[in-house]
Amino acid sequence: MTWFAWRQFRVQAFLVLGFLIAFAVFFAITGPHYASLFNDLTTCKAKGDCNSITNSLVNGQDTYFPFAQAFSLVLPGLLGMFWGAPLVSRELESGTYRLAWTQGVTRRRWVLTKLAVVGGASMLAAGLMSFMLTWWASPIDTLNANRFSSLIFDTSYIAPIGYAAFAFALGMTAGVLWRRTVPAMATTLGVYIAVRVPFFHFVRPHLMTPVTRVRSLKNVGNIGFERTQNGVSFVAGDTNLRNALSFSSSIVGKHGGEVTQRWLGDHCRALLLLGNPSPGKGVKVTTGIRPKAFTDCIDKIAVTFHQVLRYQPANRFWTFQWIEMSIFIVLALLLSAFSYWWVRRRIA
Amino acid sequence: MIFALQATDLGKRYGRKWALSNCTLDIPTGHVVGLVGPNGAGKTTLLHLAVGLLTPSTGAINVLGEGPATSAEQLGRIGFVAQNTPVYESLSIETHLKMGAALNPKWDSQLAHRRLHDLGLDPSQRAGALSGGQRAQLALTLAIAKRPSLLLLDEPVAALDPLARREFLATLMEVVAENDVSVILSSHVVADLDRVCDYLVVLAAARVQANGEIEDLLNSHHRLVGSRREVDSLPPSAHIVEVSHTERQTTVVVASEDPILDPTWSVEPLTLEDLVLAYMAQAEEQRRELVRTKVGES
Repeated sequence: MTWFAWRQFRVQAFLVLGFLIAFAVFFAITGPHYASLFNDLTTCKAKGDCNSITNSLVNGQDTYFPFAQAFSLVLPGLLGMFWGAPLVSRELESGTYRLAWTQGVTRRRWVLTKLAVVGGASMLAAGLMSFMLTWWASPIDTLNANRFSSLIFDTSYIAPIGYAAFAFALGMTAGVLWRRTVPAMATTLGVYIAVRVPFFHFVRPHLMTPVTRVRSLKNVGNIGFERTQNGVSFVAGDTNLRNALSFSSSIVGKHGGEVTQRWLGDHCRALLLLGNPSPGKGVKVTTGIRPKAFTDCIDKIAVTFHQVLRYQPANRFWTFQWIEMSIFIVLALLLSAFSYWWVRRRIA
Repeated sequence: MIFALQATDLGKRYGRKWALSNCTLDIPTGHVVGLVGPNGAGKTTLLHLAVGLLTPSTGAINVLGEGPATSAEQLGRIGFVAQNTPVYESLSIETHLKMGAALNPKWDSQLAHRRLHDLGLDPSQRAGALSGGQRAQLALTLAIAKRPSLLLLDEPVAALDPLARREFLATLMEVVAENDVSVILSSHVVADLDRVCDYLVVLAAARVQANGEIEDLLNSHHRLVGSRREVDSLPPSAHIVEVSHTERQTTVVVASEDPILDPTWSVEPLTLEDLVLAYMAQAEEQRRELVRTKVGES
């Protein structure tokens, strides 16, 4: 049965293998070059010419990066559509199930073999793409220091293996329920997206209790004031923690509360009189030369207020990868068990 | 005694509609059985129940003394040719034979290749490029190379032209002659069955109307023709199958083990086709009656 399952699957398998080989060749050719550039970057400080190296990394690798990421991102969904959905539905649609299920092989073994061969291949294909991409992109990943961003988290390391298992099982389930290939493929894509997008948006940040850190505003770079039609207000930009997943950041006073207009009026009179910006345009005084009124006001704010950060720290990256892969593999197992039961009991 | 097919109060329901109901059959081994009935009578349902593609809603079915599709061995003992003879269009004939070899414990590769050779089929040809007759022959080859003890065929010749039909049935007869195999063959064309079958099951309106060896059926069924009258004067041992009246004549088809001795009837033998048509007409009349009653009620 394994041989025949493979024989029926061969053409589809070769097609995806072709894409993987194309990426492998591209990665193998360009990868070492970027890796050596990155090596130079660690030693360039002494010579003092780091910008040109950084530029060639950013202009080179970062240009191709999105294409490879996009493929790795959509691959599990495509596998679910083109490998999972037709697996049983095509047999039902074309009537060949009457041939397949009356050979000297029980339906139980038929389904389990199909699950193992095609489901296993899905995980293998997505895993291969992910590992190749992870290896190739490691210089730019290190440089960007943003591994928790969904484009990297969802396309690299081990999470895509879980996504592929899930997408495949979803496709197979849609196929046995619809009994027709095209609606099953459409359903697979729709449900896959409808699960994945809310998952990384709403579920992933909550998988573990975030770490809370209180920071003095004296050391924070990305803060300042903005003049709007309503006057001057205090702004604090997103805090970029290297490789971490930011959950929330807020400015909290010792006795609670925020930096209000009124508070600024009471404590930073000099700042409010500063400059002559046109209203509505908004003037950020966050960079460049900082007038004394600015630094005075920041110091005053820092006495009363501090920044509270909640985030998933960088060292949880692998834990999150494992958790997410496991969740999707469990979902895949549940769907597989359901479609196995459905094929054996309900299509009868 | 092991029966080729044994059904007890077998029924299959789809939603509220019964595709097959109250089906009780004991078909002995060693026959070529014709399963005849109009389209939608439940022939495919019965055969799918027999190979385990369907599970019964009521009752039970056994083939060769075992539940259908209960084990790989059981599946291996049954050769099945489904309606419209499905094959994998993108795979070659050779690949189909490899599939048979990989999936069936008693696969006879020599037999399969010899048959292809006899049929003049090129093993490298894609199954999707075959004619209807060739495809049916491929499906039959796949079924008989399993070396089955029971061969089930669902309308195998329905889609074939007359020549392909004759060749297919001739092949089937060869197989029966050379092997110890029971055959159940469904068709809505009585003429096909007349040529090859020695046992008949008449299925109409989701029920078994008659079944038995063809010789016995023909011996026990008679057509009575006489002047126009009511038919309640017939002996109670005679089961009335169909009654029709013209202005002056009454014609009755009866099933009776005892000879009809009433001299006011002229007794004629029936052909197989007459017999089958009589049962189908009766079933159709009952169905119409049922619909009329329902419509009348509402």
